[in-house]
Formats: sequence, C-alpha cells, structure tokens
Amino acid sequence: MSTVLEQIEQQIARLSSKAVRKNTGVIRTVADGVAKIDGLSDVVYNEMVQFPGGAIGIALNLEQDEVGCVVLGDISKLKEGDEVQTTGKLLSIPVGKGLLGRVVDALGNPVDGKGPIASTETYPVEKIAPGIIVRKSVSQPLFTGIMAIDSMIPIGRGQRELIIGDRGTGKTTIAIDTIINQAKINKVGLASGDKNFRPVYSIYVAIGQKNSNIVRTIGALEAAGALEFTVIVAAPAADNPANQYLAPYSGAAVGEWFMENGMDALIVYDDLSKHAVAYRQISLILKRPSGREAYPGDVFYLHSRLLERAARLDGKGSLTALPIIETLAGDVSAYIPTNVISITDGQIFLETDLFNQGIRPAVSVGLSVSRVGSSAQIKATKQVGGKLKGELAQFRELAAFAQFGSDLDAKTKGQLDRGARIVELFKQPAFSPVPIEQQVVTLWAMQKGYYDDLDIKKVTAAAVSLRDFFSTRKDALLTEIRTKAALDKDLEAKIKTAVDEWKSSFAA
Amino acid sequence: MAAHQKQVQQLARQLFAMSLADGSLSAERVAGVLEYVEKNPPAQPMAVLLAYRRLVAVEFARGRAVVEHAGPLGQGVLASIESAMARRYGRPIVAVSKDAPGLLAGMRVRVGDDVYESSVANQLAGLSV
Repeated sequence: MSTVLEQIEQQIARLSSKAVRKNTGVIRTVADGVAKIDGLSDVVYNEMVQFPGGAIGIALNLEQDEVGCVVLGDISKLKEGDEVQTTGKLLSIPVGKGLLGRVVDALGNPVDGKGPIASTETYPVEKIAPGIIVRKSVSQPLFTGIMAIDSMIPIGRGQRELIIGDRGTGKTTIAIDTIINQAKINKVGLASGDKNFRPVYSIYVAIGQKNSNIVRTIGALEAAGALEFTVIVAAPAADNPANQYLAPYSGAAVGEWFMENGMDALIVYDDLSKHAVAYRQISLILKRPSGREAYPGDVFYLHSRLLERAARLDGKGSLTALPIIETLAGDVSAYIPTNVISITDGQIFLETDLFNQGIRPAVSVGLSVSRVGSSAQIKATKQVGGKLKGELAQFRELAAFAQFGSDLDAKTKGQLDRGARIVELFKQPAFSPVPIEQQVVTLWAMQKGYYDDLDIKKVTAAAVSLRDFFSTRKDALLTEIRTKAALDKDLEAKIKTAVDEWKSSFAA
Repeated sequence: MAAHQKQVQQLARQLFAMSLADGSLSAERVAGVLEYVEKNPPAQPMAVLLAYRRLVAVEFARGRAVVEHAGPLGQGVLASIESAMARRYGRPIVAVSKDAPGLLAGMRVRVGDDVYESSVANQLAGLSV
C-alpha cells in the first residue's frame, strides 16, 4: 500500500507550478504523410515534433515560411489548425539486449505481441558515423555458412558487403543463412565456455516488404533457433513511407549499441532499393527538387551516411552491414545499384540464369568481389580454397567457348571437368549453413581430388555425405580444425585418414 | 503552379518589407501598401494579399503577449508580464488578456510561436499521458 502512496506522491511532486515553455506551430496542410506547419520558429533539422493525439513527426524541411514534417503514425486525426509543438529531442529508439528475439517497428515499439521491451537505454536514430581515428581495419572473419561466399568472397567483421540481384534470386536467403549461421556459431561458442569468444548479434531490417514475407523470415529464424540472437525491425509495405525511410537508421542505432559496448553485430537492410523509393516519395511530397529517375539530389548521402555507420572500432566491437539491392533485368548500372556498389566494400551478385539452372546460391563469381579479401579469412580456408575463384572464372570462360566446338584438348577438358565439380560442390540448400570446419574438410577433399572419380551429378551428395560422416564420427577432428584455424601436416594427415575412411564407405 | 506560388511569396515578402519602419510593423505603412496594391493589382491579388496577411499576422503576434487565464487577472500582473516578456525578447511587447475557463486555474502566455504554460489543465493533461 505504501508503494502506491509513494507513486502518487511522486506524481504530485512532478506537478511543479513552474511555467513550461513550448515552441508551437499550426498545421497548414496534411497530405500523404507530410504536414506543412506554420510557426515552429525554434525547430531544428530532424527534431521530433509532437502532434495532437500522440502522433510524432520529424522536421525535414525548414523553409522561410513553413516547416515540412513527416508524420510517423496515424494522420487521419490531424486537421488544419491543430497545434504542433517542438520537443527539443532528436528521434531516439530503445536499444540493448532486451530487444533480442523481438520484432519492433521503426520507432522501436514492439509489434510481436510479446509485451513491452525490456530496455532502459535509447540511442538517436540519426548519428554521425565513426571517424577515421577510432576505426580499425577489417581482419576478423564473419562466416556466412555459404561455401561459395566464405571461400571466394569472404566477409569480415565491420565490412559492408552488398547482396545484389534480380527478384527471386535468393538475396534474402543468403542474408537469413548468415544470421542462422551466426546463431549456430554463438551457441557453440557460448557452450564451449571460451572467454575470448565474441558472439555476433544480428539485426534484420525489413523495408517495404510484404507482411507475409516478414512472417516467413521470422518463422525461418525461429525454426533455426536464431531468433534469440536477432532483432527484427519491420517497416512493411503497409507502413507509411516515413517509417520505411527511418527503419534502416533505427536498425543501425540498435546495432551501434552492440558495437559501442564491445560486442559484434550484423545488420541486414532488406532492401535499400525500396528504401530509396520511400525516400523519393517523401522528397517529392516535400517538393524537393528531383534529379535522375526522380530521386532527390541527396539520395547518395541517404545510403552513404547509413552504411558508413558500419565499422570495426578500435577497442570496441564491430557492426557488419549486408545491404540488399534489387536490380531490374540484371542491370547493375542503374542509379541506386551503382551508388550502393560504390559505397560498399564489395558485392555478391546473384544471377537469374544461374538460379534457373539450379545453381543455388546463384552467386556470380565473376561479378562478385570482396574488397577486404583474404584478410578476413582463416588460414585453413586460404589453404584449401585460395585458387577456387580463379579456377571457376577460367571454367566459366572455357564453358562459354567450348559451346562452339567439340574438339578440346585434354587440359581444357580437365579444367571444364574440375569447374563443373566445383559448381556442384558449392550447391547448397536454403537455411542450411555449413560450419567453417566442415567447409574446410569439403574443400580439402576437392583439392585432393576425392570427387574426381565420381559422376558430376553425385558430387553434391558426396559432399553432404562427407560432412555427415565428419559430424557424426569425427567431431573431435572438426573441433581441432575450428580451434587451430590452420592446417598443419599433422592435421592434414588426420583429415586424410578420415576422408579415406569416408571414401571407402561412400564408394561401397 | 509552383513557380506562381514562389512569385506570390516573393511579392508578399517585398510588400511586408515595405510595411516595416525601424524594424517594426507600422500601421501607416501597411495602409500605404494596401493602397498601392489596390491601385496596381498584381497578377494574383487574392493570393498575394493572403500571403501578405500571413506575414503581417506573424509579425503582429511577435509583438503581443496573449495572456489566457482562468478567473480574474489584476492589471499589475499584466504589466509585469509585459515588462518580463519585453526583457526576454528585447523588443516592446503589449500584453492582452483573454479569459479561458478551460485552463481551470493558472495561465498561458503566448508570444508569437512561444507558449508559456502554467495551468492546471496542462498538468492534468500531462498526467493522462
């Protein structure tokens, strides 16, 4: 009872008789989620403003006679003449570990029906990216669990790697696989009791997507046990463009908290094409001058300031960004794709043709690149997969050439055969990332020619069988590969013995 | 359409600038501007006059402190508000009283865009959030 009385007394104490100063304005027009306001002479750029009925807005256009605000929330109750007031605050959202396993909107409000967010801290949605001095070069790997990527286009902690491709080529699947793989690594690492282990927390930002797709993604993460390490920021297609515009920045704020507090985080922006479209819509309604493809002049800055927030900080953690861009008919030279390609540290290009041929993930080796390169790879992967990218590129070139003639020399035939086997080896079903130690074993067997006598169509099955064999019977050896992260003569001998054992059983 | 609006705003701002004497609004000059507009009507007289009115209203509000209050208000209070606001903004301010029973108790002072509120109604509204 005394607690109740204390609460009431605290409330009374808050009722100070001191006058409160507010800077106000009056709504002149409201249309398409944007309000034009008279007054608000003290408002600053990007400041939150309070509308009647609890809705908030952000001041984006400060003009001589009026202020243009995007309204975040229900605008149906707003009308001309309503009073608006400044808040003196920049938009902030709750951050922290309390968000893990939760689905929130662009403002950090829970939308998963699991009750309030257990968070005491907030971070500003818009923040200047870390400068040069505090950054550290990217050198720690972030394993995606996708063999084609980890061996040929490695991603490091703090890197920005673009996933680009047409619709339906598996862009989201790669991102989800990566999140699932982080959860798997986290579980193994935390269970091992290793004090130096650094888990990677994931943030998935869904921008302008169908709600059904978001539900499917949540389901996939939940089924793989990855949701407990993941925060989902959802701004679906049904949300107003202002929320879709803000969602990636909100996600970045959540990720920055992990980074600033000495942890590692991964953020997926799915996708930035829709983000640019939402921003174009807002800009056109705000009557900002439009440029190429009707995008406003600052559309490059829109993405550069977002992606620059991903970094590896000296003495702190890291934030790795995987932005996704959807292309039309494989056109990577369109406006938004070229912008984001130039901002990021590499791209994974997915091809529709490869996808339709059944090569999944449909990674185009020729057009994909990681500017961080092998510095984000463990030594073991470099040892077994160092030449794969070159071999595959040669294969693609020869395969195109070989279509015109059947008289091929033995060397060319050998290269074609090897290339076809590598392609088969890299085929991987969705939502089943392969741990790095398993990847090392699989690629080691390829390097040593263990799949050479098999029918090409059986290579994928053989690789799966090899991994099953190792996970069920050679767990200690896999742990040794994982902890040593490099292959010495002793370890290679052990792998050879084990692979020979598998080969005899597989052939039989 | 946008170009027209820009021209209207520009003309309204020019007229407004002509309405100021020593940086403050002059009734004589406003009358002069209105007479000029009547004799030389611009392309969109209605739009120009509306935009001009808006600018004048904003300037007019900057020099007035509208004191809304619940219950009686002494002349001394109004004078003290006037001098306090003049000190704060560094320009002469005229206080005007306005009865507002909805405030329940206390007062609300509005100078231009700024609102100084110390009313029971506002505090109760704070409790409801």
